[in-house]
Amino acid sequence: MNEVVSTLPVDAPWVVMKFGGTSVASAERWGNIRELVAARRDEGSRVLLVVSALAGVTDALKTLCAEDAAEVRVAAAKAIATRHHELAAVMGIALPDTVQSRLADLSALAKNGPDAADPLAWKALVQGHGELLSSALGAAFLTAQGLATQWVDSRDCLRAVSLPNQNARTRTLSATVDAQPDAALAERLAGQGDVFIAQGFIARDEDGRCVLLGRGGSDTSASCFGAVLKAARVEIWTDVAGMFSANPRQVPSARLLRQLDYEEAQEIATTGAKVLHPRCLSPLRAPRVPLWIKDTNRPDMEGTEIGPLVREAAPSVKAISTRAGITLVSMESVGMWQQVGFLAEVFDAFRRHGISVDLIGSAETNVTVSLDPTENLLDSDAVAALAADLAKVCRVKVIAPCAAVTLVGRGMRSMLHQLSSVLAEFGQLRVHMISQSSNNLNLTFVVDEDVVDDLLPRLHELLVRAGSLRSDDSQLFGPSWQALYGSGEQDIAPAWWRGERARLLQLAAERSPRYVYHLPTVQARIDGLKNLRAVDHVHYAIKANPHARILQAVAASGFGLECVSPGELAAAKAAAPEAPRLFTPNFARRDDYAAALDDGATVTLDALHPLEHWGELFAGRSIMLRVDLGRGLGHHEKVRTGGSGSKFGLPLDQLDRFLELARTHDVRVQGLHAHLGSGILDAGHWGEVYAQLATLAERIGSVEILNIGGGLGVPSHPGEQPLDLDALDRVLGEVKAAYPQYRLWMEPGRYLVAECGALLTRVTQDKRKGGHHYLGVDAGMHNLIRPALYEAWHEIVNLSRLDDEATALYQVVGPICETGDVLGNDRRLPVSEEGDVMLIAQAGAYGAVMASNYNLRETADEIVIE
Amino acid sequence: MSALSDPREAASFRFVRCGYADGVAELAYAFDDGPELIERIRFPDAPALPEARRGAFDAALRLLHFVAGISYYKAGVPPRIVVDGAAPDADTAELLDTLYLHGLAEFAYRNGLDLRERIAFPRDGAAPSPAVPLDLPRRTLVPIGGGKDSLVAIEAIKAVGGEATAVWVGNSPLIAHCAERTGLPMLNIGRELSSVLFDYNRMGAWNGHIPVTAVNSAILAVAAILYGFDGIAFANERSASAATLEYEGQEVNHQWSKGFDFECRLHDWLHRHVAADLDYFSLLRPFAELAVTRAFARLGGDYFDAFSSCNRNFRILGPKPADRWCGQCPKCHFVFLALAPFLPKPRLMGIFGRNLLDDESQRAGFDALMEYQDHKPFECVGEGAEARAAMYALSQRPEWREDALVARFADEILPQLDATELALEPWLDAADAHRIPSRLAGALDEIRGA
Repeated sequence: MNEVVSTLPVDAPWVVMKFGGTSVASAERWGNIRELVAARRDEGSRVLLVVSALAGVTDALKTLCAEDAAEVRVAAAKAIATRHHELAAVMGIALPDTVQSRLADLSALAKNGPDAADPLAWKALVQGHGELLSSALGAAFLTAQGLATQWVDSRDCLRAVSLPNQNARTRTLSATVDAQPDAALAERLAGQGDVFIAQGFIARDEDGRCVLLGRGGSDTSASCFGAVLKAARVEIWTDVAGMFSANPRQVPSARLLRQLDYEEAQEIATTGAKVLHPRCLSPLRAPRVPLWIKDTNRPDMEGTEIGPLVREAAPSVKAISTRAGITLVSMESVGMWQQVGFLAEVFDAFRRHGISVDLIGSAETNVTVSLDPTENLLDSDAVAALAADLAKVCRVKVIAPCAAVTLVGRGMRSMLHQLSSVLAEFGQLRVHMISQSSNNLNLTFVVDEDVVDDLLPRLHELLVRAGSLRSDDSQLFGPSWQALYGSGEQDIAPAWWRGERARLLQLAAERSPRYVYHLPTVQARIDGLKNLRAVDHVHYAIKANPHARILQAVAASGFGLECVSPGELAAAKAAAPEAPRLFTPNFARRDDYAAALDDGATVTLDALHPLEHWGELFAGRSIMLRVDLGRGLGHHEKVRTGGSGSKFGLPLDQLDRFLELARTHDVRVQGLHAHLGSGILDAGHWGEVYAQLATLAERIGSVEILNIGGGLGVPSHPGEQPLDLDALDRVLGEVKAAYPQYRLWMEPGRYLVAECGALLTRVTQDKRKGGHHYLGVDAGMHNLIRPALYEAWHEIVNLSRLDDEATALYQVVGPICETGDVLGNDRRLPVSEEGDVMLIAQAGAYGAVMASNYNLRETADEIVIE
Repeated sequence: MSALSDPREAASFRFVRCGYADGVAELAYAFDDGPELIERIRFPDAPALPEARRGAFDAALRLLHFVAGISYYKAGVPPRIVVDGAAPDADTAELLDTLYLHGLAEFAYRNGLDLRERIAFPRDGAAPSPAVPLDLPRRTLVPIGGGKDSLVAIEAIKAVGGEATAVWVGNSPLIAHCAERTGLPMLNIGRELSSVLFDYNRMGAWNGHIPVTAVNSAILAVAAILYGFDGIAFANERSASAATLEYEGQEVNHQWSKGFDFECRLHDWLHRHVAADLDYFSLLRPFAELAVTRAFARLGGDYFDAFSSCNRNFRILGPKPADRWCGQCPKCHFVFLALAPFLPKPRLMGIFGRNLLDDESQRAGFDALMEYQDHKPFECVGEGAEARAAMYALSQRPEWREDALVARFADEILPQLDATELALEPWLDAADAHRIPSRLAGALDEIRGA
């Protein structure tokens, strides 16, 4: 035993730090552990380290246990010994006696094999050796490095209890520890030193046997120690900074969760997040010990903190999670509740077939339960047999494959009113079951599995936009996963108007409201798109902003102009007569098509009607065909242009008929076009549209061009990442490599011009009413209708007081006699006064062009600056 | 270079020449005196051709030239077929006339054409002396398509210890992925169509279905002689021989070149003209689709997340079921229906990622499979009676019978059917008619599950 070296006062706070298998498997990582532990000790905390076995050793020990031949087991034990010898050598220490003797014990256990009387105890003891070895080695290394570390046997501190529903196997290999604060133990250890190391995964039961804690065992050990020592906190050190607001593989923009209470964290861990095993939180609850998740590679970064304290904060959805592969069993019976024992009989059938139930929903005549995808379900006839049994007592339907999508957040019921856009999203899907837990922590929707991959990123975005996931609250939400572990935050250049403030104030002083367009910003977006190597030709959708100067700039860069009406064709021709024109109308008159053909524009059709009734008009011509791929995307229902709910595009089941008509009238289909919606920030989306169009085109010999439309998103909310053009080019390039025979067209609109425009307006009045503080400006929905029409979010700043602290919370409203004339809800702004110049950003697209004279108010004029 | 003119206006289609050098076969065609359409077939790591196989190789290559010409011929279907150089003999011309007529029957039906007066190969070439055995190595080329059929065939050959190579024509990541899973040696033959054909297509040339299995068969016959294989084992089922519909007195079968008639004709022709010991056959010929899906359900575990029979050409692979199964086409419908009686429902859902039988919008698709108010689709799918038997089996199973299309079958279609003709079991038996060589006879028992 080492000399007693206790330098901290006996009542110094305890910190429990847990490190996993990868962290303890190399000398270099042990060096990091030493630094982190020393830092905590130097801050005045007594540290208890909990470690896992060296990565791979627990699996090796499991394999050893399964071997029948003694010599094979002994060889396996020897291989494990070698790993520890090698690590000690790299650590630069002699293999300590404590490790030597553990290795000797392991070798003997391997040689003797299981004890016939209690084979499970043998198994637990063998598998527990991984931690006994790693902790002994660690104690020697840290001590040798000058950080005196006492080795503690977890089995002397953690006592397993037997629970009524446990069998011998779970009692031994998946034991539960009753972790109660033990002041005597804490005091005894405090007398022995400052730093201690103990084993994860193992404990001792009431009969004195070594038992294992099962999956997630080392995390559970750490929290049990936290409870026993009544620690200041437990730190779980791992390779990720904590829990995220969604699975980062599905939603790269998922945000790090900074603060969670125990119940929320448990809910998130149970419904999908893998970073923490849900069972490790329960020991901490009663003694109110916080748990921190920390990233070993970024020790200074604040990770997720889980604790009892719910800081004063607006209710927020914290996370969305999904579980796939779910099967629902719906049982229908008339008057089931009147029959005593009906449910008992039903659930007994599940028990008999070894099927466990997760969610339950019930109605007067129906009970529906969900089943997780176990091997039993997938590879045996359990479901068929269960259904056959149930069919004797009720009508049964097996619904699969489903996925459960869960929103987690404390006080879910009080947030329902904010979830309308989210619920609208679900309204487009088949929702089989909704479950809201009585603890008010979650809301679960069970939907068809195939929709989830598309749904999740969209839901996450909708929750942010609806203000139900308060990503703007930096106390609750940290950086995005993308920023921390992905390609990193892209550098976002400050908006152009910050550098043009004086000029803009001058312009606003002359007249208000007025639109200002910054041409260099348009040029920057043009240049970005020109760098897309996969794209052969771009048409600018001029409906976004048909200002002549913008059309000239776009045309000068070699882009064509996409028009949807005779008026737009005329504007395009007037501003840039030489630029190719693409005519993509919807429900246009026959004359419109005739005029476009005369004009020499490339014409896109998106219905049977023109060929059925005006076939001769198109005879001998080449046309583009717009199809509806059957689903839509976008930031608002009204900007979604694909899917059966939208009026655009030829449905695929009419494609054969269209081609027949084309052949009859000698019309050549030279290209296919699809456009699913607007405001899409995920590059993968266009790859899918492109690939789907290509597979369709392969059936039509005449197709040379695939036009995947526009819809390139422009980030508006703080923290939103711009569309990654490099990623887009990569995705498109992959599809192009597979289908090199087609030329690729795109037709962006808003992407090119949104950011170039600002709407300048001046404050008119200020009014408090009810809970709201209204700030009136002289621009309204007649100038900029996007907030009213699409619930679009535009950044609003007080240009006169750009550097003042934003202390007021305003509803920014216009002068129009409509309740909906609100330009910005709940905006944090400096206290503003009559005459101040406000700037509404990203107003270059669908701004002036959608203006009206409603209320017989004047429209804003448009100024172009270089 | 001659200017391009519409092939539909041409007077003749010409087989210009074919050649082989350094692993590349070059096949040239033309409409009248128009530009040459040159197709190239690339045989990777081609060995030097043994002198003893020279004659067989030339005969197989010539056949490939004639067969592969069908892709180009159909662009114009001119009134006359011309062979530059030596004309085929009567036996070969007979095979080609039959292939072109039946293989293009669907094409003709869909385009409203009658080819009976047009397809007549010259037939005055000298008959060659009968082919002899070449002592080809006793190993089998198994074309793999990424679907269940070839995987069942491959596993059956593996089970009886047969030596085999998985072969496919053209670039397909899905097939390559499945082929890797088989653990067999792999051979990926390249096929490059003439780009002039695409130019013609853009001009509005005739387009449509061609008997691609016949083209692949001819390519594999060349490969068998080149690399040394004595067997070419396709995985075409019994149902491939059933006609899709009849049109103006002619049977139209989408899968004609997968049918037994073509198999016998090519098998015999290869014996007579190429090598007496080269066996061309289908290992699944005795079986109905349902017997094959049952076999696949039993052995397919390793392939469940890799295979696809969907006829959408997935060039870009992904991990999701929707990256392999479109869920809309007749192939998806049929394979889903035919596997359903033999797999646990949650497992089947894991493969397809959705339940096609609980989706009202798929009604017409399943109706066509059952030949209810529609004809069988122009696809490689099982017989209508087979689809009805599978649906009937599901309608008797509690875990399926409430699904929208199963319930509708029970309510609406079943009462119109003769229940005695709906049993599943007869479809699981093997028939006798097949050309499988005796050394692989044991593979049949593997598939049958005996």
